[in-house]
Amino acid sequence: MAKQLLKGNVAFAEAAVRFGLQAYFGYPITPQSEALEHLSGRMLREARVFLQAESEVAAINMVYGAACCGVRVMTSTSGPGFSLMAEGLSYIAGSEIPVVVVNMMRGGPGLGNIQPSQADYFFMTKSAGHGDFHPIVLAPASVQEIIDMMGLAFELAEKYRTLVLIAGDGSLGQMMESAELPPMQPLPALRPNWAVTGADGREPNVITSLYLVAEHLEEVNLRLQAKLADIRQHEVRFVEAQTADAELLLVAYGTSGRICTSVMRQARQKGIKVGLLRPQTLWPFPAQRIGELCEQVRGILVVEMSAGQMLEDVDHAAGGRVPIRFHGRMGGMIPMVDDVLADLQALATSLGLAP
Amino acid sequence: MPDEPRASDYKSDVKPIWCPGCGDYAVLAALMRAFAHLRLAKENITVASGIGCSSRFPTFLDTYGIHGIHGRVLPLATGIKLGRPETTVIAVGGDGDGFSIGGGHIPHAARRNVDLTYIVMDNNIYGMTKGQPSPTSPEGIVNKAAPYGAQEGPLNPILLALSYDVSFVARCYSGKIKELTDVLIEALKHPGFSLIQVLSPCVTYYNTYDHYREITQPLPSSHDPTDRLAAIALALQTETQYLGIFYRDSSRPSYGERFDAVRAKAPQTTLAAIFEGLKR
Ligand SMILES: Cc1ncc(C[n+]2csc(CCOP(=O)(O)OP(=O)(O)O)c2C)c(N)n1
Ligand code: SF4
Ligand SMILES: [Mg+2]
Repeated sequence: MAKQLLKGNVAFAEAAVRFGLQAYFGYPITPQSEALEHLSGRMLREARVFLQAESEVAAINMVYGAACCGVRVMTSTSGPGFSLMAEGLSYIAGSEIPVVVVNMMRGGPGLGNIQPSQADYFFMTKSAGHGDFHPIVLAPASVQEIIDMMGLAFELAEKYRTLVLIAGDGSLGQMMESAELPPMQPLPALRPNWAVTGADGREPNVITSLYLVAEHLEEVNLRLQAKLADIRQHEVRFVEAQTADAELLLVAYGTSGRICTSVMRQARQKGIKVGLLRPQTLWPFPAQRIGELCEQVRGILVVEMSAGQMLEDVDHAAGGRVPIRFHGRMGGMIPMVDDVLADLQALATSLGLAP
Repeated sequence: MPDEPRASDYKSDVKPIWCPGCGDYAVLAALMRAFAHLRLAKENITVASGIGCSSRFPTFLDTYGIHGIHGRVLPLATGIKLGRPETTVIAVGGDGDGFSIGGGHIPHAARRNVDLTYIVMDNNIYGMTKGQPSPTSPEGIVNKAAPYGAQEGPLNPILLALSYDVSFVARCYSGKIKELTDVLIEALKHPGFSLIQVLSPCVTYYNTYDHYREITQPLPSSHDPTDRLAAIALALQTETQYLGIFYRDSSRPSYGERFDAVRAKAPQTTLAAIFEGLKR
């Protein structure tokens, strides 16, 4: 398939259709509404399901219902809508059904604004609802990567029967970039054997998150934790650049990660030996690799469009072995290459690494 | 008696940023006129809103105001009224805000009969998010999120309010500002929950001025607004959109009155007695 100029929101929506999305339920919210608008026509032309719900609470519960029937289903939203979905996300996690949710993060808290942000990191990776669970959280940094991650999201959701979140941000949703869509893929021929499909001639399947006996719920919790441990072991993904000889390390994801690629290039030209680690999965987090790199690099600069949320995970991974600095912008502001570069140079100087 | 204040006294120095021709301008003007007519002191008014173009409203007024959460203006306004019972509390929002995401709150505001004036600027569309169908869009409407026509039928806000037993129910049109002002004055005076649906066209995404000019007309002069069944019959006629006060029941105690009555039954205690109890 040839490359074409695509807007992030349209790209992930179209990619989802091609990866076999069977039903979409959503509610308009900027900066993500183009996805809903694209699917409103596209899904009908494919004889699939599209519904604009009356709220995000309704949308996530419709997703919950369709997922129980073994249908490949998703929704997409942004901050305030994602907050409203939290209750449903917890039930979905507790019921162990595959669901994909895209959150195009915008400035917050509260209504905030519609500019890009990465301030939902804690919410998405650590506390997307009540109870003990983590969703898998994917973090694309380009329109091409949103497309590719859509396929990965369905694959992981179904493989582990788990919730997969895509942590985009407003600028990824709005930007136009040249990217290649996958060819149209056939829909799954069969519904999964755990799904609620009518129990004629077999034992009924029960999908629930309700276990009144404490011992039973603890068993379920332990099973969930074992699954999460499995995911932690096998699904960590990240991109590493120029780390072989690096004395300093930039850690950033999504749009901040892109910016840090430019920072790295310019710093290298100035003779600063810096590498970049860009997490593609925010949960599970590439803590082990960051830990390994701490044996080599002398300092880390974390860059985020937040007050420093992933920073805590980097801090934990580094375990005090090297100094960590932070560059963050908030309120819908995007870090500037020159500003990040200045902080990186300051870090280099403080460590006696300035060329 | 001091001079009647002017409507413009209630205006803030923030200029409305609605599109030229948006129906919401008329609602703002009418509400300020109603405030002036009733000689309400600015500092005794709070205007709360949800989220949407219409919900930008409080910013443009020099009263207390709060721009709340999408769909939650009624609980927000209820909290304000219970926190400051002496103030006049007005809730405003759009058709999406009030009838879609926030629809579940209307019956409960009605049951409580909280003394609130709720103005819904109904443009039959989601204006702020650029033109998706709303719960009052006609079936089959074609727009960005419904390229082959919306499959849901519209709900009937007046009929809903009447069946929820809202104690003051009216429909107005932003093209008729004098009548709108008169109804808002009555609604502000009403000692309980009032819901006013204002047909307020969105010129940018769904211009319905011509349509509404054609299909609106005043309620028959014979209509008795204490007759709920008659009001329901008139609300059922959707080809004609009647304007005016469909229903009002001023005798019903408001939430505040009922709350005071119930609280009077609870044994009163003092802080000192509570501490004394803790010692034992
Ligand atoms: C929880 C949440 N979901 C979605 C949005 C996005 N949003 C803002 S306004 C709006 C709808 C506005 O429509 P309406 O209430 O009819 O007001 P109008 O703009 O037409 O006056 C939506 C969906 C939001 N702010 N919060
Ligand atoms: S988009 Fe529509 S509702 Fe919003 S200000 Fe413009 S005319 Fe009014
Ligand atoms: Mg509207």
